[in-house]
Amino acid sequence: MMKRTLMLLFCLFTVNLLFAQENITITGKVTDAATGDPLPGATVQVKGTTSGGVADVSGTYTVSAPATGTLVFSFLGFVDQEIAINNRTTINVGLATDAKALEEVVVVGYGVQRKRDLTGSITSVEGESIAKQPNVNPLSSLQGKVAGLTVVNSGQAGASPTVRIRGVNSTSNTNPLYVVDGVFQTNIDYLNPADIESMEVLRDPSSIAIFGLQGGNGVIIVTTRRAAKGETRINFQSSVGVQRVNRKIDVVDAGGFRRLYDAQLTNLGAAPFDYTSYTGNTNWQDLIFQDALITNNSLSISNSGEKSSTLINLGYNEQEGVVKYNNYKKFVARINEEIRINQNIKIGGDLTGFHWRQQAPGVGLNNALWAAPIVPVQASENLYYSMPSFQRAQVGNPIASLNRNTGNAVDQGYRVVGSLFAEVKFLKDFTVRSSVYTDLGFNNLRSYSPLANRFINLGEGTAATDTTYDALVRTSVSQTQQQFRKFQQDHTLTYNKTFNEKHNVTALVGFTTLFNGSTFLSGMRRDTTLNIPRDRNFWYLNVADASMPLNNSGSGGEESYMSFLGRINYSFAGKYLVNATFRRDGSSKFSPSNRWGNFGSVGLGWVVSDEGFFQDINPFDFLKLRAAWGTVGSGLGLPANLYLPGLVTSDRAVFGENVNTSVSPAYVPDPNLHWEVVRGIDVGLDLRALDNRFNAEVTLYDRTTKDILTSLTLPGTAGNYTYRTNLGNISNRGIEVSMGWNDQIGDDFTYSISPNFSYNKNKVESIGPNLEFEILGNGGVNVTRTGQSIGFFYGYEQVGIYQSTADLDKQPSFTNSLPGDIAYADKNGDGVITPADRGYLGTPFPNWNFGSTFSAGYKGFDALVEIQGVAGNKVYTQRRTATFATLNYETNRLNAWSGPGTSNIEPILDNTRANNYLFSSYFLEPGDYFRFRTVQLGYTFQSERMNKVGIKQLRLSISGQNIATFSRTSGYTPEASLADPIASGADNGTFPVPAIYSFGINASF
Amino acid sequence: MKLFNKVPRPNSIVLLLLAVVSTLVSCDKDFLDRAPQGQYTQDNYPYPGGSGPYDQYIFGAYSSLRDFNVHSQSFIAITSIRSDDADKGSTPADGGANAIDMDNFPVAVNNGFANAMWTGYFNLVNKANIVLDQVANNEAIVATPEIKVQSEAEAKFIRAYAYFMLVRVFGQVPLIDQVFADPAAQANVPQSSPEQVYALIESDLKFAAASLPMSWSPAFVGRATSGAANGLLAKVYLTQRKWAPALAAANAVITSGQYSLNPSYDRLFREEGENSSESVFEVQATSSPAFPDANGVQYAQVQGVRGTGTWDLGWGWNTPSENLEAAYEPGDPRRTRTILYTSKTTSPTEGLTIYGEKTPLGLPNPRYNHKVYTNPARRAAVNNRFGHWFNVRVLRYADVLLMYAEAANELGNTAEALAKLEMVRARARAGNSSILPPITTTNQAELREAIRHERRVELAMEHDRFFDLVRWGIAGPVLRAAGKTNFNENRDILLPIPQTQIDLSKGVLKQNPGY
Repeated sequence: MMKRTLMLLFCLFTVNLLFAQENITITGKVTDAATGDPLPGATVQVKGTTSGGVADVSGTYTVSAPATGTLVFSFLGFVDQEIAINNRTTINVGLATDAKALEEVVVVGYGVQRKRDLTGSITSVEGESIAKQPNVNPLSSLQGKVAGLTVVNSGQAGASPTVRIRGVNSTSNTNPLYVVDGVFQTNIDYLNPADIESMEVLRDPSSIAIFGLQGGNGVIIVTTRRAAKGETRINFQSSVGVQRVNRKIDVVDAGGFRRLYDAQLTNLGAAPFDYTSYTGNTNWQDLIFQDALITNNSLSISNSGEKSSTLINLGYNEQEGVVKYNNYKKFVARINEEIRINQNIKIGGDLTGFHWRQQAPGVGLNNALWAAPIVPVQASENLYYSMPSFQRAQVGNPIASLNRNTGNAVDQGYRVVGSLFAEVKFLKDFTVRSSVYTDLGFNNLRSYSPLANRFINLGEGTAATDTTYDALVRTSVSQTQQQFRKFQQDHTLTYNKTFNEKHNVTALVGFTTLFNGSTFLSGMRRDTTLNIPRDRNFWYLNVADASMPLNNSGSGGEESYMSFLGRINYSFAGKYLVNATFRRDGSSKFSPSNRWGNFGSVGLGWVVSDEGFFQDINPFDFLKLRAAWGTVGSGLGLPANLYLPGLVTSDRAVFGENVNTSVSPAYVPDPNLHWEVVRGIDVGLDLRALDNRFNAEVTLYDRTTKDILTSLTLPGTAGNYTYRTNLGNISNRGIEVSMGWNDQIGDDFTYSISPNFSYNKNKVESIGPNLEFEILGNGGVNVTRTGQSIGFFYGYEQVGIYQSTADLDKQPSFTNSLPGDIAYADKNGDGVITPADRGYLGTPFPNWNFGSTFSAGYKGFDALVEIQGVAGNKVYTQRRTATFATLNYETNRLNAWSGPGTSNIEPILDNTRANNYLFSSYFLEPGDYFRFRTVQLGYTFQSERMNKVGIKQLRLSISGQNIATFSRTSGYTPEASLADPIASGADNGTFPVPAIYSFGINASF
Repeated sequence: MKLFNKVPRPNSIVLLLLAVVSTLVSCDKDFLDRAPQGQYTQDNYPYPGGSGPYDQYIFGAYSSLRDFNVHSQSFIAITSIRSDDADKGSTPADGGANAIDMDNFPVAVNNGFANAMWTGYFNLVNKANIVLDQVANNEAIVATPEIKVQSEAEAKFIRAYAYFMLVRVFGQVPLIDQVFADPAAQANVPQSSPEQVYALIESDLKFAAASLPMSWSPAFVGRATSGAANGLLAKVYLTQRKWAPALAAANAVITSGQYSLNPSYDRLFREEGENSSESVFEVQATSSPAFPDANGVQYAQVQGVRGTGTWDLGWGWNTPSENLEAAYEPGDPRRTRTILYTSKTTSPTEGLTIYGEKTPLGLPNPRYNHKVYTNPARRAAVNNRFGHWFNVRVLRYADVLLMYAEAANELGNTAEALAKLEMVRARARAGNSSILPPITTTNQAELREAIRHERRVELAMEHDRFFDLVRWGIAGPVLRAAGKTNFNENRDILLPIPQTQIDLSKGVLKQNPGY
């Protein structure tokens, strides 16, 4: 250090001598204009010379320059600023962050890249916009923000959303890979949403190829916060809100039920039901929903000095479920430390501790939808009314279930994620970095099954009212423990050099291994003599004697990966960009001969706006054309060892009273099983125009998955016996468009609007060359077939209702169709309705995803509106198809056909008319929706006034989330599950996504 | 870009890195070898030697006999609710179209019970084929030729049992008699004619009859025997109206000396009557306090009394019909042993179970199947009311005697027919000479009617009635007379091939006529 300073002084001195000009010494401080934070490392250059200086840790610089000269201040990520010296000896400067995002750095696999140098499709979402949202899971906050990303939120407390990147490219697992500070993860539940620096969504094969066979479904890279350079900071963020279900499913009340059930019995020719004792009119949904609390709290303390920086974060999130008495609590503590031993050696580590506790909802939503409204709730605290005989065996009293199931479990987990790294720079251009990571999870469940409730069976006809109690139900306790272990190591060597000022080369080679292991242990004991108290202190297996009926089980799993990787980025004059990656991956999941695979990509970019001929073309500020090709594997989430002939050993043969173990093959093994291969090409352009106020990214992609891993039920032969093998191809083609407009009006009013949309077309190119059958999902409702989109809805198309027997003669019908039945379209025109008249009815996957963010600021005020939606998909109202008992009716059935001219949509009330339960467009609803995702208003108090009381910044905000959703679906939410690619889109009482109204505070000290 | 004053020694770092990497690479083999944890594969399963080397696979097939799709709801709906013996039961709308259509016809192509039976019984076929594949191809298993033959025989018995159900229910079905080397080849086997299916069933059962033991040690009571194979074979022949082979097969059971009628028709259907001297083949089930249902079958639960509290014994399906009630001769004690009446008044002598309990008023159905009524003491012992322990009586000696009588009468051997018929009636009479007088007619047609009547009341609710009506060629008139006016013998003697299976096959499977 000393030597360098002397050297610099010597240089300056030499310059002085050479030019013999009148130089003065200038000092000052370089800060971030927005925050006032110092910018250590900012460079100060005397314009037109090579001389200058660098700001120290406190942002202070000293240079010697001609009194009439000009200083150029620059720092990565900030706009360069030129200031004329004009004989001043003190010049303080605040640098503005570079709104052009020209130097915006994006996290890519195993490194960072300037956004301008990217050749693939990566969208970066700032942590701040995630922290602003009142969500417990950070992924929820990505909804609507990224073109090509589909997020399906669950309203259940603590549940992770379903995330899809660029459609569905597999018939098995389609979840993306998460890479959190380098660690490969399948979920990021353990992160405090307020402690995230950025999330990068990597979509195209060239960006994800570096992740090899786990990257095929896309990658989301999460970077947690680091200490801001320069000083000690304390930040506190908190929000508290209430969640409310704004949309309930319209079911009939007691009067409506009586009317409809009477009509149904009449249609069945059955005797009328005796309602005499059933005087209730219970809205079961109202009884199981609650206004629920949600709160997110985060405290960060960071300190950064010359030699080290430290960040400590504490997070506490609690979400009550909107279904009683669902509850999820999340505690996160994290420490991040980096020590700079000298300019060339850095070591550091990160440790996150995570603890969660949850209580599952006490009752299923369908229970409340199904229960007859004519039944009163309860007679006294432990005496409930049971359902009428027509549903008694199948449907329980929802409130009895709720109260019996609540508070019977101590369900919690602990997770520790830690990492250590060392980074050494050597020989000027080389950097070697080694990291080791671990992630250890421990889930622990103790639960209790109480005695039965007492029920009143109301009298029906000759049956008198009586009270029953099931004395055969005995108390039992269970304990479950799960352990997850992950060990990962990454070693990379990077070379970066610029030759002849024009050729910039960055090369990276690396080696990495990953191990995932798990163990599971559970036990249950039922006490047949004593009643174990309903008190968590007793809920251990030992409370019941080992001679009691007991059951236990244990299992485990191990998988490992090993990879070699490399990447070269080359740019010529910053204009011509080449990016090539390679990864060789080995996985223990596959047989030794199919274990290793090679993946890679090539990307090309051309910054047209840097060309001479382009310089004068206004209004463009920046234009880049890019194209990329890549091949990547998709084997994430695939069960291990499927190439081995697995056995089911849990079935038992009985002879007399003797129980014998048995074996049967668990599936038909395919020794050649390998991962899916995803290949794709992207072409796109990035542009900024009108003084960088407008920006746009447009990407076209064409991606094909080869050798899709399919689980086949062999038709007509094996029943529940499946064959998992590689078959066929699926393609996804689409376009993604993101735009932005930032401007200000006057000095105080700023605003921006950034819409995005994407379109994806999915097509099954083939499901195997020799295989003459198709894949059915959800009982044949979803079909996967060559030439159509994956898992499309396949059935009859409703054209009306047969109004009369005359109608039946005129219109094509089934041989057993009757008036009041659904009339279907005669697709093949043969004059009768047969299974051949079924056809494509739509896809469960939205083709269109769109979202937009509007933000505005005026002095201390800021406002944010986010909208989001999907279009092009259908939702299957499967909850309406249950016929296993007489269930409560949804209000659409009030319009059921009851004679000629009464309805042309709703069939007759008769659940024994099988034709009306065939899957048809009658059970489909358009899945398009448009949602006001976020509306937020904030005020930031001026810092001068606050500074006096030690507060650097204070922002208060109110916000509403999901405050309005416009859709034509009848369920709680238009977002039906997309979890299973071949059986998606069914609404079986999908959990509501509640509206959240919250108040937030964000203070920095 | 920067000047260094302390340049680390690069060679040592690079060497260290290379050393680390090469160490890691060299252990690649171990690192990437991850065996399944806590799970066997076919290659490392320690096949127990004691009970026979193929027993574990054979037991896998026996285990499937208890499957819900094999001997529970769909089985009961298809074999019994379709017949004139039983009504659907439960509450009017319970089960929806799936259930009502089984009672009233026609059955829709998307009927869930039809598909359940298809998958359940083809799973049995597959389990049997796996055993045969192990016997033929697993060289790791060392076994004597005798054991190999016996294991093959047991698998063939189960395969024949499954195909006999499939061919009677669906008519033309794919004939799958092996584990295909290429699973994709197994995907789309076209249907064979019923004659071809019956040929496989007959050859399987002949093999089984010749190679299975007459009986098993007490530890394996209930495994397939040569008697079971012959008894089933008799029914297979009878179904095809092959009277002489049917007589011979039934005679082989009778002359084996292994079987006799249980003196008490009542005890036969109690828990203590399981695997009695009359049992030719029974699906075995049991319950314990720790496993009230895992080792059982839901056969009794589906038909159990649909009450509340202690009377919640099941779902109340498959209730004996009025038509069946009327079929009994006066005083036949088998009537109340087959039909459990629901109390209509508070009279203490009305609606009693075999254990003397009075059924409650107001149950949704007037009658329940008394032959699946479980012992209350057993319910209390396993803390469960649903009778998962209750064996399914598939084939019993009385059935074999009546099959013999039927074949003998058709062949003109009236004396033999009368003798076997009288054995069954005598047992039912239980010493009460005022009821069920011996049949004495020597007119073949009258005797045929008498045997058919006896089959109906002796074997009521035991799942043969519908198939009997079909093979006698009288299903149409009888079922229509019993109120099933939609019944059309040109269509309804077979169920539709499930549309799901036709879809899966991409149309290779063809629908049955009339659907």
